[in-house]
Amino acid sequence: MHQQAQLRMKKDEVERLGAEVYVVLAMDLHRTREFKEENLLLSRGTGRFSKEKSLVYATALSDPAGYASAVYGVARKCLRWGAWVENQPRWFVIDYRGTITFVLEPKFDTPTAYERDVDLVLEALRSARAEK
Amino acid sequence: MHRMTIAVVGLFLVPGAGWAQPTSPLEKYRRLPFPAKDENFAKGWQERVALEYEVINAADLKALRLALKDEDPFVRAIAARALGILGDKDSVDALTDLVKADKEYLVRIRAVESLGYLKMKPEVVQSAIKDRDGGVSWVAKLAADQLKSDTDYAKQLREAYATGIKREVMGTAKVSNPAPDFTALTSDGKPFRLSTVLGKKPIAIYFAAYDG
Repeated sequence: MHQQAQLRMKKDEVERLGAEVYVVLAMDLHRTREFKEENLLLSRGTGRFSKEKSLVYATALSDPAGYASAVYGVARKCLRWGAWVENQPRWFVIDYRGTITFVLEPKFDTPTAYERDVDLVLEALRSARAEK
Repeated sequence: MHRMTIAVVGLFLVPGAGWAQPTSPLEKYRRLPFPAKDENFAKGWQERVALEYEVINAADLKALRLALKDEDPFVRAIAARALGILGDKDSVDALTDLVKADKEYLVRIRAVESLGYLKMKPEVVQSAIKDRDGGVSWVAKLAADQLKSDTDYAKQLREAYATGIKREVMGTAKVSNPAPDFTALTSDGKPFRLSTVLGKKPIAIYFAAYDG
């Protein structure tokens, strides 16, 4: 959710790049819809996103059996709140030829790590666009 | 020749002479060398995924109901999840017991989630919102909404698992490789296939956890 909140702040840049962004949840459709439409997590705090209704700019995709998540190597790795069904977060960038050009595993190691991660993804999208 | 065929078949039918009871997916899950514990974060996940598919697709309801009382919490949890996805209304009382009294939060999560999929026991789901564990409470809130919905989420899950998964395709998405294709549902329920959007724009995909 943090990554998505950060991405939404830079959606103009995504649109300038003519790029498309998807966010995949290894969860049923209801949870995916809640993730997309409701700010259930950050609304509980007092931070900059606490008053926002929805934080997710990307197209949200439900991967209920975790197939895509397994193929992309991120499935069933972490316990967390979902107790094993959630994904280990990871970014992938794909160029015009359909080739994966960039992979980033967020570390969540600092309070502002999300900004750096999204900047790196945007940079990878810029490169992917330039290679057309 | 005929006599030889009978002898070979007989060899496999005589106990202790080369024939063995096939191991069920649930039993294989019980014997996982790396169950879904924190310390196994990056180990054995492919086997966990593959067996989850096998347990659900095998749909051995009798074994799954028995497994709700298994001493291993990971086995109770996968059985609870499978029974909800399989729409087994006969397991509702046992799932209710797990929601109310299982000492492991990961089992209570899967049990309350399944009551949501089965659209039964709204009062139990409501009470689970007050569970001492934040994860159980969170999933119970979502299950309470699912109970009221007309959408058959369990059917969607069954259809998704029914496609199966091969171990050799897992983890194949790597830099310089073609992006593996997959299907999904958009948040408004429309089918999506990655290959239909490749080549038109540069694409970023984020595989998210709910809180990441």
